[in-house]
Amino acid sequence: MRSTRKSALVAGAAFAVLFASACGGGSGAGDASGGDKSGGGDEVKTIKLVAAEYSKDNTKAFWDAFAKTYKEKTGYTLEVQVVSWDNIDQQSSTMIQNNQAPDILNLNAYASYAKDGLLHDASTVLPDSVKSDILETFVKYGTYDGKFYGFPDLSSARALFYNADLFKQAGIAAPPKTWTELEEDAKKIAALPGGNAGYALPLGPEESQGEFSMWLFNNGGAWKDGDSWAINSAKNVETLTFLKKLTDAKLTQNNPARTNRADAFDLFKSGKAGMIVGFSPLAAALDADKKVNYVVAPFPSNDGSDSKTFGVTDYLMAFKKPGNEKAVKAFYELYYQPDQINTFIEKEGFLPVTKTGVEKFKSNDKLKVYLDTLPNAQLTPTDDPTWDKVKLAVQQNLGGAMGGDPKAVLDTLQKTAESQK
Amino acid sequence: MGRVRPLVALAWLAPALALILGVVLFPAVMLFQASRSEYSITGLRKGAAGWRNYTNVLEHPDLGTVLTNTLVWVVAVVALTIVISLGLAQFLVKSFPGRRFVRWAIIVPWAASLVITAQLFVLLYDYNYGLINHALKSLGIIDTSIDFLGNDSWTMASMVLVGVFVSLPFTIFVFIAGLNAIPDDVQEAAVVDGASPWQRWRQVTLPLLRPALLVATVLNVIYVFNSFPIVYTLNDRNPGYLHDTTITFMYKLAFKSQEKDVGMSAAAGVINVLLILLVVAVYLKIVNWREETK
Repeated sequence: MRSTRKSALVAGAAFAVLFASACGGGSGAGDASGGDKSGGGDEVKTIKLVAAEYSKDNTKAFWDAFAKTYKEKTGYTLEVQVVSWDNIDQQSSTMIQNNQAPDILNLNAYASYAKDGLLHDASTVLPDSVKSDILETFVKYGTYDGKFYGFPDLSSARALFYNADLFKQAGIAAPPKTWTELEEDAKKIAALPGGNAGYALPLGPEESQGEFSMWLFNNGGAWKDGDSWAINSAKNVETLTFLKKLTDAKLTQNNPARTNRADAFDLFKSGKAGMIVGFSPLAAALDADKKVNYVVAPFPSNDGSDSKTFGVTDYLMAFKKPGNEKAVKAFYELYYQPDQINTFIEKEGFLPVTKTGVEKFKSNDKLKVYLDTLPNAQLTPTDDPTWDKVKLAVQQNLGGAMGGDPKAVLDTLQKTAESQK
Repeated sequence: MGRVRPLVALAWLAPALALILGVVLFPAVMLFQASRSEYSITGLRKGAAGWRNYTNVLEHPDLGTVLTNTLVWVVAVVALTIVISLGLAQFLVKSFPGRRFVRWAIIVPWAASLVITAQLFVLLYDYNYGLINHALKSLGIIDTSIDFLGNDSWTMASMVLVGVFVSLPFTIFVFIAGLNAIPDDVQEAAVVDGASPWQRWRQVTLPLLRPALLVATVLNVIYVFNSFPIVYTLNDRNPGYLHDTTITFMYKLAFKSQEKDVGMSAAAGVINVLLILLVVAVYLKIVNWREETK
């Protein structure tokens, strides 16, 4: 009996260790400083791409076809690994820990990688013709410490989506141009029978920095003022206080602080929300459903001045690995060919990042509302490595303002940002 | 029985040893190494960190909340699971028409992936179109929907319910096996001695179920303690660490929180292993102590 108990303990211990190590599987140590498996300076013939999955149907199909063309045109081989957005942070971090960084990584951040000295900059791997084709806004936000590292693969811009049927029912003739109008419209919609949300406000951890960016840019605010952080500026406090006011007046869906973007989109898709900040993939989903009669309009500004849009790009960054420069350069040369990049962007339903792309997509009426604003889009400070952490702090804490003090929340975030090295 | 030469013995043991080394020891060593290293947000190792990752975890302002959550989560899920399973197992050892079918039905939640089950409950609990709220409203029990996952007073209870739901099948089957192992003549003897049904259950069945109870408790404590998908999925809308257990805390430290620090997460992982070992050891000690002092 004694020995069975002992073996039970041993088995228990083994289980615990097994489980813990399974969970900590991504924590293998390793220095990423070396990284030369290919040996000094030999030219690499095969490179690896880790790409984010924008859609099940298109992403892998595009990159597989791309790899084939790449092989035919350049003779290099491209290994493609497509990873879901849920996993990509974890996977990329694990690869770097284990000294197995890919040659090209597709992600929504780059500055921390540039800061760690892991990346090639444009002068080594980006053909000049490509660099001059990329929209200046994106070159600006892709530049860290004077060098261009964050090569955009595609972009998106946000706009106001409204449910035209609900607007009609509530007797609203035109989309709001100011925040006061937006509040009035939200009141009218919330007052309709059926328990609709006037404005769907997602401040949950998934992407609260995106929602808040759209609002604060349209109040003349910003995350940074020059080189210093301006998270708790008077404008931004005013903005967050306004969002709290909408929440307190029950003009939003239930519990905005705990609503993720995907859930807010679902609410709009089911026809239960009057207004929401959306982007082209939401439009594509709504078109496929054919359930909601929606219209896209510029997002209203606080004082009625010209609407600003919040733009987002993702990046294709190139890791420094011995001998991979030529193959990587050939990759970018091919990717930024108009027939490649624009095919990808069109299939995935996003927006272009190049001047030739903007020209090409201009003929598409549906994209016009975004394209007009795209060259002047404001981005979050993705060129600052500190933002990579501040973003996470915002995601986790911004919603807290709905049940607390907006100024205190922003003050804490400001402090977090300033305390980062 | 002839003696086996050490080399031959080693050859026979080699596969098992290799497995233990590869699957248990190697990751454990790597985990420990990671916990003593300093990592950049990108995952790049920047050098040794000494014990700083450990002190950072221990000084984390939300550690108290996380530990309390873990305690509530493990105790509530395991206790409820054991009690409900005892009842259901008792029922399932009786023979009745369709018993086999019912037993199969009980395995189903076990066979389904935890992530899928958790996602299913997210839909059931939904504020706007969840079936649970719909049912409660149709029955007139509540007027407005309950925000099961977003309202702080409900979140833990909602998670515990799912935790119990997925732990039941395994536990029930352990108890069915335990009950089947109790010989009929002991029960008959008790009947002859004039024991009431409650006395028979309390003084015959329960003591003889002890090994099954022990196994079910220890394994459930470990499973539930380490359960990631349920807590993570049901809690993903909530900011900070309000409803996190040590396992999801560890994950968020590495990938989601403003710390985003693999080293700190590894340190939390090591602390986790020590914690569960301690809990299991203490539990076994208590069980042992009771038996010896009888």
